[in-house]
Amino acid sequence: MTVKRKQSCEICATPPAFPLSGAQFSRRGFIRLGGLGLAGWFAGNAFSESLLHQRTSVAPRLHNTAKNCVLIFLEGAPSQTDMWDLKEGSWTPSGLAPTTFGDVRWPHGILGKTSVHLDKLAIVRTGLAWVAVHPLAQRWTQISRNPAGVLGNVAPHIGSVVSIESVSSRRDSDVLPSFVALEPARASAGYLSASNAPLTLRVNPTPGAIATMTHRDGALRLDERLQLLSQLDPDRDGALGKAASDFGALYDGAAKLTKSPEMASVFTVGTTDFQRYGKSKFGAELILAKQLVAADRGTRFVQATYTGWDDHNEIYGKLVPRCTTFDTAYAAFLDDLAGTPGSTPGKTLLDETMVVVYAEFGRTLGPLNVQNGRDHHQRMSIVFAGGGVKGGRVLGKTNDVGDAAVDYGWSLERDIRPEDIASTMYSALGIDYTTTRHDDPLNRGFEYVPTAKDGVYQPIDELFA
Amino acid sequence: MISGWILAATAAACPFPQHFQTAHEIQSQVSKVAEAVAPSGRHRAVAPPVPPPIVYPSSRSFIDTEIFGKMKLARIVPAPMSSDTEFLRRVTIDLAGRIPTPNEVNAFLADTSADKRDRIIDTLLASDDFNDRWTLWFGDLVQNIYDASSVGQGVLNGRSPYYHWIRDSISGHKAYDAMVRELLTSSGDQMAAPASNYFVRLYQENGPPQDTFDNIATQSGTQFLGLPMMCVSCHDGVGHLELLNRGMASVKRRQLWGMAAFFSGIGVTFQTQGAGGSFVITESNGTEYRLDTTTGNKTSRQPSTGGSDVVSPAYLFGGQPADGENRRVAYARLLTADPQFARAAVNYIWKEFFGLAIVEPVDNFDLASTTQATHPALLNELATYFQQNGFDLRALMRLIAQSNAYQLSGRYGGTWSEASTPYFARHYPRRMMAEVLLDALYQATGRHMALNVVLHGAVTKAVATPDPLAFVNNGYAQGPFLQDFGEGDRDSNPRSQDPTLLEVLEMLNDRQILDGIATTNTLVGSLLSAKKTPDEIVDQLYVAALSRHPIDSERQTALAYLNGGTLSDRAPDLQFVLLNKLEFLFY
Repeated sequence: MTVKRKQSCEICATPPAFPLSGAQFSRRGFIRLGGLGLAGWFAGNAFSESLLHQRTSVAPRLHNTAKNCVLIFLEGAPSQTDMWDLKEGSWTPSGLAPTTFGDVRWPHGILGKTSVHLDKLAIVRTGLAWVAVHPLAQRWTQISRNPAGVLGNVAPHIGSVVSIESVSSRRDSDVLPSFVALEPARASAGYLSASNAPLTLRVNPTPGAIATMTHRDGALRLDERLQLLSQLDPDRDGALGKAASDFGALYDGAAKLTKSPEMASVFTVGTTDFQRYGKSKFGAELILAKQLVAADRGTRFVQATYTGWDDHNEIYGKLVPRCTTFDTAYAAFLDDLAGTPGSTPGKTLLDETMVVVYAEFGRTLGPLNVQNGRDHHQRMSIVFAGGGVKGGRVLGKTNDVGDAAVDYGWSLERDIRPEDIASTMYSALGIDYTTTRHDDPLNRGFEYVPTAKDGVYQPIDELFA
Repeated sequence: MISGWILAATAAACPFPQHFQTAHEIQSQVSKVAEAVAPSGRHRAVAPPVPPPIVYPSSRSFIDTEIFGKMKLARIVPAPMSSDTEFLRRVTIDLAGRIPTPNEVNAFLADTSADKRDRIIDTLLASDDFNDRWTLWFGDLVQNIYDASSVGQGVLNGRSPYYHWIRDSISGHKAYDAMVRELLTSSGDQMAAPASNYFVRLYQENGPPQDTFDNIATQSGTQFLGLPMMCVSCHDGVGHLELLNRGMASVKRRQLWGMAAFFSGIGVTFQTQGAGGSFVITESNGTEYRLDTTTGNKTSRQPSTGGSDVVSPAYLFGGQPADGENRRVAYARLLTADPQFARAAVNYIWKEFFGLAIVEPVDNFDLASTTQATHPALLNELATYFQQNGFDLRALMRLIAQSNAYQLSGRYGGTWSEASTPYFARHYPRRMMAEVLLDALYQATGRHMALNVVLHGAVTKAVATPDPLAFVNNGYAQGPFLQDFGEGDRDSNPRSQDPTLLEVLEMLNDRQILDGIATTNTLVGSLLSAKKTPDEIVDQLYVAALSRHPIDSERQTALAYLNGGTLSDRAPDLQFVLLNKLEFLFY
């Protein structure tokens, strides 16, 4: 197994030589909002008393249509204008095979299998990242706030918030952790307890079981060993301090998980599925994601990360095969969720699971750069399916180039921000995204979704209507 | 990359509270104590309540004076002193990156001399294991890596020569400031002149040269001064950083350019001769840092209206090249003479010994803050000591390890308040870092590691890997174990000590554990085949894993278990339990 993350421009701040124009992109606005510049501006407003006060007067709109959420994160930032918001030009290779489905032009050559599921998809084309710096934006999307802001260092991942919100509804039989990350996420539990951290699994591009989920010497043996451990380790009461007792507190859950024989199949990638999902690591991730939510044993939030989309050079040579890999796995995943009964009679697992295809930002538009690639761009598309989302639609419209929005596609008449996406996921799961917790270590109040400078962030209600 | 590094490093679950008591809060507590004990004017005849006396350890140096002095002001009770075995384990892990051997434990226990702790510190400082452990530390600091995301060429063949340069410097007692000066002034082929890998690592392949110069300024400023220079590499601090770092809020982007201009003569080329080719660092005098870019990885660099497009080299806190002085030599001179250079370094080292630095986060000093440092005077005294002792890392570590503050027990006894953590009122047990933990597992279970790292050679312990992904990239099962225990990648994923469910699952189920408790090629296997008695087995497993002998109650419980069934089944169970005791993982 090799872990190689190729990002040839990790410190990139903004897309080079991109004409920023239009109302949303006044030069002055760009200078203030671009790059890392948002930090102080944002932090300064996010915690103003008056805003917090106003905030509490806004009634949350909880759609409560989903039990689970699967976040598919395409790390590195895919080219939205070659995929979800196709803009054809002299640069478009024939392999993309643009095809018309209703009102939608679709790169059938690279997303052909997904096209079968267009009736299930709602494509949001007016997403706009705050920054175009990989690590910053990756973390931003996953903690739904500015990582360089005051609470950025301690903020939990969205999945960890879902985890702490599901504590009260967990059953004794729920042996799976609430939040599972397939390949590492870009944030963890933050200041929340370690029980809300993702169970992070490194996934192999092969069928088979994840070894650490079962005790090689048998569950009985493990029981005896743990019994002896409880006799010989009095330090579990906290005698060695908080770091040690936090670690020790995870043993019960780990043992329960290991000792549940029926869980072995959840963590095993079957040969037939592996074939059907395209024989890739990403395919294996989605197989595990499917099994985790289908098991209904406590997992509510899964992040499946697919790395390597940072195509600064020779984009089409890489994007075409990568999209094919994505397409095969994603289409099979939607097939399976839609074909699996949910826990409520008459509903499918897809009805109960919101699936979000997301990334940290998008890529530059129009002709390719001098290296035949595309650089970083804040404009992006986000694709929703299931969990109460009405499919077969495109929300928002970008101009011919693909930079500015000509129709925002939702009632707020502005670009859709990562915080709005987080609100959408929370709302679908029935979690009050306007919650402010008062248990954060900085004693500032931790808002699930921070207060916006202009109005509030809110769910994209149009997805559900 | 550095922003990710900083962010994640600070987000990494530091077990300690994020806000510390301010001097004002402490003062108000002190005055409350004073009120409680002061005789009231109207009740002179009544004996005042006498607070119980708190006994503080004596002062071996200014470290103890500062640490116990502050605790005394706040009337915080310190933990007792560590036992011999607790101390030996801690100091061996901290200085040498490994747990003590049974022989070392027994010899230390048998030694009755009064200065045995000082002597073991000196022994460890002189050991070869020390060189491995602190090469790893310096490699983390400068992010020596095989495959850097900013360098599109991909393979940094210089990784191993760079590793050996660091190790030779550490083992050769090279002063810390001399190491940094050598890096900052290096040129040449990365294979033949390995210090030049410092610049190769910071090369921004897909941007204008100014991107690379800025990387060097931001990284060297962050690594060696502990300042978050990344923030001002795209914009001024004003209007952005007031709530985050007031010191940096007044720094302008132009000042970052002034720092970067010291490196404006640097050129990076790739030559294809030899296996895989290599990068070459050159320097041409007279090349200026120009404000003439609109592309690349930073916002545009353009002169102010009517201003010059040339930025002259200027050190952040004042200073420029002397007449005829090479720019990089000037930068290295100014940087290493800066008091903040020593402050940042001692703060890093302190954290390695205490788990919590005096200024947190270590790479985000706020020079305008009066409350960020828990012990501001101590920080300055340590920095002065370091500087006056020729930036000798061993001298600094000796002083720290000898202090009574460092030698407090990790077990507190009374009721512990987390608010006492930043007073260093107990030694706060930390989880062994990934590499040390893996090596400790091997050592405790009597296994031997022999892995071959491509383009490097044989490695017999994880602490001696040249880079964090070396085992992963070579396909060894030990690699994912290290990664899952937060080893990081010196690129976009920082080292992490967060407790995770996966780590516990690995302690229960991973091959690295279960192979160690098998009965072949293991300590427990050899004890069984040598027909050792249950009593001997208990004792030897305890000493090997926990660096101490079992106490009576432990011995009885363990013996009862071993005698309750087949010994060859149950001895491995005991080995498993000892590896999973929190005392094994946390020290």
